[in-house]
Amino acid sequence: MTTARAAAIVLAKELRLEFRARELLTTTVVFALVIVVLFSFAFDPTAGESRRYGPGLLWIAFLFAGSLMLNPSFAREQSNQTLDALRMAPVSPFAILLGKMLANFIFLSVAEAILVPVFAVLYNLSLSDVAGRLILVLVLGTLGLVITGTVFSAVAAHARLRELLLPLLLLPILAPLLIAAVEATASLFAEQPALDRAWLAFLAGFDIVFLTASWLLSDYLLEE
Amino acid sequence: MKNFHFLLSAWIAVWAVFFAYELSVASRLSKLSEDIERLKRQLKQG
Amino acid sequence: MKGRAAITVLAAALIFFAGYAALFVAPDEATMHEIQRVFYFHLGSWAAMYSALSVAFIANVGWLVTRNPHWDWLGVASVELGVVSCTAGLITGVLWGKPAWGIWWTWDPRLTTCFILWILYVSYLILRGLIEEPQRRATLSAIFGIFAFLDAPLVYASNRLWRGQHPSPVILGGDNSGLDPTMGKVLLITVPAVMVVMILVLVDRYRLEKLRYELEELRLVEEERGSAANSMPIKELS
Repeated sequence: MTTARAAAIVLAKELRLEFRARELLTTTVVFALVIVVLFSFAFDPTAGESRRYGPGLLWIAFLFAGSLMLNPSFAREQSNQTLDALRMAPVSPFAILLGKMLANFIFLSVAEAILVPVFAVLYNLSLSDVAGRLILVLVLGTLGLVITGTVFSAVAAHARLRELLLPLLLLPILAPLLIAAVEATASLFAEQPALDRAWLAFLAGFDIVFLTASWLLSDYLLEE
Repeated sequence: MKNFHFLLSAWIAVWAVFFAYELSVASRLSKLSEDIERLKRQLKQG
Repeated sequence: MKGRAAITVLAAALIFFAGYAALFVAPDEATMHEIQRVFYFHLGSWAAMYSALSVAFIANVGWLVTRNPHWDWLGVASVELGVVSCTAGLITGVLWGKPAWGIWWTWDPRLTTCFILWILYVSYLILRGLIEEPQRRATLSAIFGIFAFLDAPLVYASNRLWRGQHPSPVILGGDNSGLDPTMGKVLLITVPAVMVVMILVLVDRYRLEKLRYELEELRLVEEERGSAANSMPIKELS
């Protein structure tokens, strides 16, 4: 079985599982909203400041909500011991990893698709001109988050305190991604929106480096 | 000498950090050696 | 334990000479005067940190490829030393910053990078503490360690791009741009001094891990003996 086909099957399984419950998606969206609202209480930003803090707040909300959402990815396998079954299947570990990454990417993207318009309304941002470019930034940023997050979710699955451990491992590693995504988003929210190519390239570079590392380490990651 | 206490603190800090850590390692090392010796003796007798 | 005593004396001597050189041999710096002398140990700490973390990366790869426990012992030892060196670097930096700039801290590229690095490798140690099974602990922390090491240059690059305007705090000889030759010579004493101390402590920490492993092996033997003794065949009794 090719890697792509195996990954697709894993992806379908993940989606089917989550669709039945749908609690993960709703919880993630609501949690991100809570962060946004809390920030607004705590910092009471004016219109001008919204423009400055908006991108940072948006991505921090995604990062926190995302890292909580990633836990079940492997935790579920752990409690049901289905990971052994997966391992015994004649597919490469990377295919399993890839399937989960794609599933997580879709979940998080759906959450973002709901959150970004809500955010735009709450902070009075007009996103119509920059929609396409914003989606590009969101995709690249989310990819980085999901790639790294899925790998670390596999790492944390075998440890105690995994709900606390995953954000602890993930967030410092994602610091460069956060900076790049925030700067790229900020360049789109500015008075004269112009997508910063350098940051976009940085995001793409980050994704490629970590995807490659995941591929190289996938065998060790999912071993017995 | 201006800012002497900062310079002195920094100087002390560098070696203190390594020294404190080394003390912790060394004490654990000697305790472990004892445990191992004791266990080896027990196993020889048993 | 003669070898050990000799090494301790050597380390003490190095520390003494380094201090002497930094205080009396090094020339006076124009703007900051005395406090600038922290630089010699500040730089030494970072050199020690980068060395330790590079060794950690090699050890992480080594474990994944060979599964020889020596690599795991080296991995945890070098990460701990990396964290210790980083701590020394951060403390000396803060104690230099307050008198020199009037502020304890600022979020500029180098400082932010180093702080994140500190957190990253502390997380490595926390991760290890939370996994019981030794093989798995070694493998998973090795994987995390590799990601952390890949991340380090990215953190630095992103910070540099982001805050290109803000002046870096260690322009003074940081990249050996126009460093006074005497200062350079003093560095040649102080940097190795910190590195040698780091390496000596690293060796001890490695030995500690090795002994832990031996103790575990012995305990396993003891358990086996214990259970074998408890399951004597019944016919022996009759």
